[in-house]
Amino acid sequence: MDRKKSLINSSVSNNNSAIKGLQLFIADLRSAQQAQEQERRIQSEIVKIKQHFDAAKKKQGNHDRLGGYQRKKYVAKLAYIYITSNTTKLNDVLFGLDQIAELLKSNSFSEKFIGYMTLELLYEHNEVVTKINDEVNYQLTKDLSSSDDNFVMLALNFIGVVGKLTNRLAYNDDITTGVFKILRSPTSSIYLKKKSALAFLALLKSNHSILTDDLQRKQLWIQRILSLLDDTENYRLTLATIPLIEFIAKHIDPGYCTRLLPQLTAILYNCVVTGTSTSSSNQFPLEYTFANMPNPWLITKVVSLLSILIASPTERDSGSLLQTNNIDIELLNKLRKCVSVAIELGTRQGQDPMERIVQNTVLFSLINFASKLDPSDEAISNSVSALCSLLASKEINIRYLTLDSLVKLCSSSGKPAIDAVRYKHLDMIFHLLNTERDSSIIRKVVDLLYTFTDVENVKIIVDGLLQYILSPKNLAEPQIKSDIAVKIAILTEKYATDINWFVIISLKLLSLTSNTTINDDEIWQRLCQIVVNNPSLHRLTCEQLVDYLCKKQASEAIVKAAAFLLGEYSSLLTDKISGVNLFSLLAEKYFSVSNVAKAMILTTMIKMYKTSPEIGSNVIKFFQLELNSLDIELQTRSFEYLNIIQLAKVSGNVDVLQILFEPMPPFNSKSNPLLKRLGSLPTSAGSTTLINSPSVASSSTSDLASKRTTSFRSVGVPMAPPSRKNTSSDENPNVDSFEDFSGKDSYYSRQILAPNWREGFTRMISHKQGVLFTSSLIKVFYRIITVDPQQPFAFHIRLAFINLTEWEITGLSTQVIASKTQGNPEYVITNVNVPSAATIKPNKRVEQSYEVSIRKPFDVEDSPLLAIHFKCGGSTNTINLKTAIGMTTTLVSGEVNPSMHLSLPQFISRWKTLSEALGKDGEYQISGIKLNKDFRKIETVDLEDGLLLLKQIVNRLGFDIVEQTSVHGTLFVSGIIHTKSEGNFGCLMKVQYQENGLANVTCKTTTAGPLAKYIVECIRNVLTK
Amino acid sequence: MGVQFILCFNKQGVVRLVRWFDVHSSDSQRSQDTIAHIYRLISSRDHKHQSNFVEFSDSTKLIYRRYAGLYFVMGVDLLDDEPIYLCHIHLFVEVLDAFFGNVCELDIVFNFYKVYMIMDEMFIGGEIQEISKDMLLERLSTLDRLD
Repeated sequence: MDRKKSLINSSVSNNNSAIKGLQLFIADLRSAQQAQEQERRIQSEIVKIKQHFDAAKKKQGNHDRLGGYQRKKYVAKLAYIYITSNTTKLNDVLFGLDQIAELLKSNSFSEKFIGYMTLELLYEHNEVVTKINDEVNYQLTKDLSSSDDNFVMLALNFIGVVGKLTNRLAYNDDITTGVFKILRSPTSSIYLKKKSALAFLALLKSNHSILTDDLQRKQLWIQRILSLLDDTENYRLTLATIPLIEFIAKHIDPGYCTRLLPQLTAILYNCVVTGTSTSSSNQFPLEYTFANMPNPWLITKVVSLLSILIASPTERDSGSLLQTNNIDIELLNKLRKCVSVAIELGTRQGQDPMERIVQNTVLFSLINFASKLDPSDEAISNSVSALCSLLASKEINIRYLTLDSLVKLCSSSGKPAIDAVRYKHLDMIFHLLNTERDSSIIRKVVDLLYTFTDVENVKIIVDGLLQYILSPKNLAEPQIKSDIAVKIAILTEKYATDINWFVIISLKLLSLTSNTTINDDEIWQRLCQIVVNNPSLHRLTCEQLVDYLCKKQASEAIVKAAAFLLGEYSSLLTDKISGVNLFSLLAEKYFSVSNVAKAMILTTMIKMYKTSPEIGSNVIKFFQLELNSLDIELQTRSFEYLNIIQLAKVSGNVDVLQILFEPMPPFNSKSNPLLKRLGSLPTSAGSTTLINSPSVASSSTSDLASKRTTSFRSVGVPMAPPSRKNTSSDENPNVDSFEDFSGKDSYYSRQILAPNWREGFTRMISHKQGVLFTSSLIKVFYRIITVDPQQPFAFHIRLAFINLTEWEITGLSTQVIASKTQGNPEYVITNVNVPSAATIKPNKRVEQSYEVSIRKPFDVEDSPLLAIHFKCGGSTNTINLKTAIGMTTTLVSGEVNPSMHLSLPQFISRWKTLSEALGKDGEYQISGIKLNKDFRKIETVDLEDGLLLLKQIVNRLGFDIVEQTSVHGTLFVSGIIHTKSEGNFGCLMKVQYQENGLANVTCKTTTAGPLAKYIVECIRNVLTK
Repeated sequence: MGVQFILCFNKQGVVRLVRWFDVHSSDSQRSQDTIAHIYRLISSRDHKHQSNFVEFSDSTKLIYRRYAGLYFVMGVDLLDDEPIYLCHIHLFVEVLDAFFGNVCELDIVFNFYKVYMIMDEMFIGGEIQEISKDMLLERLSTLDRLD
């Protein structure tokens, strides 16, 4: 690329798209040798352009004096000046904004392009946006609806580039809807669709409310966007769509996106498994292969979206995310297969360096993703071995990426990964620490060591790190050494079991700072806090500090720590060093440290004066000397301290001295300021997991941990800092909280149901099978099957989708949404199988099943929702329905269980017992239920028929009806409600039939609470249907 | 998530391409300082013994690669995976190479606006939008011929 080509011979400059004047100007500038000469040339050109532009402005009105080509040329020159001056000449080119706006209006593509291109450069500056925004927005809206695809393309590019630089586009409805219109229109070309997807992403990034303001729009638009993934082999469109969906999943609402799992799995599988197969049937399009890998971009993007949608095994209660135990086993196996193929590929020796990078790109992204697939310990340990083998790679980038991947794996997979690394590969990692010359790699090595340090290995690791800082051959950047020092400080505090070792290491760390320019107040301050709070450390630390002070060069940090701690505890050392000697030691250091440390020493001296009066004259002399200090702070301190001494000596008032310099009380700050400095380590470091969860820590570890806790905590040390909070909720400030006020997931409550959903819902309460929904396009059948007669609270739900049209239904996908997924939900949905196919041929059916298991009583209105998405004849459809699983669904009728039959006296006696035991608790009554039209039809004919119909309905629900003839017009009903967690409940009910087409229902249950209400509501739903 | 900026400068630190997708500062002086800082950081790194990845700030890491006398740099989020961006850069350079026919720095200097056209065909919204070289080159040659 350094081959010099002359301008004349350049093939490009000869073609007709070249702008000759621009080329000459550039060549001219390049021939200018001196910077000054260049500057002159630029200025004279600017003056010339200004004149042309001014002239054009005056003549405006009749005809365009300047002409499109000239305008384009001058604007392009301004753009070049802006770039080549390293963007410093913004103010010199601002005068051209009006003419740039003129270019946007042009009907010539090349002129319009130069206009948009130049604005893309300048739009990062607020002053540009303020000046020209209205004109630009107007033109953008116009171009977005242009019939010329190339103009639309330019507008989309512009929005995609600057959409996040300013929020003015994103708050303009014409622009957001304009972009979305292109995205959703079935007639837009794929080329425009992919651009509109990314332009929309840029807008969404600066304004989430485009989607969140209006619930209806949100649902509609998101479904439109998701449907772009229906064709999983359209590699052009999927590549541009997935980042948009990822953003929605991350920042708007993950719930909508989980239904994409089958499509995403298919894309990934097609690339990673099918696409890399060596068999001749491998049809993966060559143009989407890069360095011998099928579409690595798509692979990493899909993996990153999947990682958002699937909850980690450790965060089981994560709202609307997918849980591994809920994923269709076939899909899960496909995903696992992708991981194993990636490992195989990644550890294979590629020829070309780019090829190896790409293989590893895929390997690292899938290995990190694997922790979400509930891997076995063995699988994790295999991943670690595969990765560690790459640590020996000759390529720096690969070693860097491997370390990065190991850090992530150790954080996400916890103990199995951590153990595999530290027991088998610790030597290798220390070897890298001592041989690598790239600070980026050192950082990763240190992060990795930090991640798996615990009480067992803290000494080895801290030693290794200290040696690294100490070694003169490691001339790494000071910033890194400082970071390592911080990490050592945290590790020693967190995992030290030997309190003396803790002090010795901390002081060693502080003493290093003189030759490595580590300037870290936080480390010595933290040490002082801990020492103050631990009386047993006072003497030991002070002795050590005196030893350090006696050395020729004591670091600033040591002096500061010594100034503070010796001031507090010097009296403990009288048998080791006399007050006078200690004073002269400090006085000697005084002249070699910064003013901040000097000020501290002055305070130390007056504190010592308080406890060792024999140094009085020395102290006074010292302060008198410092009255002449040039530093105002030192001068003031000396002056004030002298006055305090005078007050004590002359007027005998020692109170001021005593009160001002009372012994330091224990610190109570719990958080460790050092932790803030950790930078970009993954949020849940594996090391904290070891300490915090007893199930992970081996018994010996937890023993040590508790020993350490007692030795530290019993003496009132600041507690070890709380483990870092999982910040996932902080990261998505815009995702609504998972629950609304009623405790339901907000995602559940936000669904807008199809207008006629209630019909199928009611049918599902009274019938075990039937039609859930029907429209002109699709019909949905359901069947409720009790899994096991012994467990009447668990059901298989089987659905069948039937295509009623003459066209294919494509992109069928569904979502089953529970009202609650966290905090002890009333029911759980498991084993959700995806529809057996995504395409339904005309008049054919596709089936799906899932299981619901009822744990506790709940309102039938909170039954699971079913969202159905599909495409048919160019339209995208979403149908949200409510399925019905009521308390009555769990009834086991007496025909199955004959012992349940009651006689009327039995019924009455039980009714009484319940009344006595619970009173009105556990009872619920509704009078005047208006019966449905079936009753109205027969009502006029015969009361008996009505009663018979009522009997049939109640029977069908699964209740038993007491055989009796003595009370007319009333049904005495009994039944048993089953739940998994709270057991079974008996239920007695009186249903009175009235001649005017009304019914009264009274229900009693063997438990207080709302169960009776839930049962009556089911019945009311059925009767009023 | 996504690319925050794309920079291209030569060994002397003269900027050849600059593209911001993210607001990094409202103050234009700061953006020049940022570019200068990135140049110093990257040009001081030894490309034989050091990786192509370096942390730049609390929110950004740099993925870069040198092709002859030109550095191509992308700034990405700290949590993003690095290597795919190396692929971004490589593909971009491959397309430049195919479009100009053995591309050199001068091509980029004299035809900077065409390079931006190529960039816009490949990266918008901070994301890569097309990876098929055939598709890109076909589209670019059409656009290049439009008046």
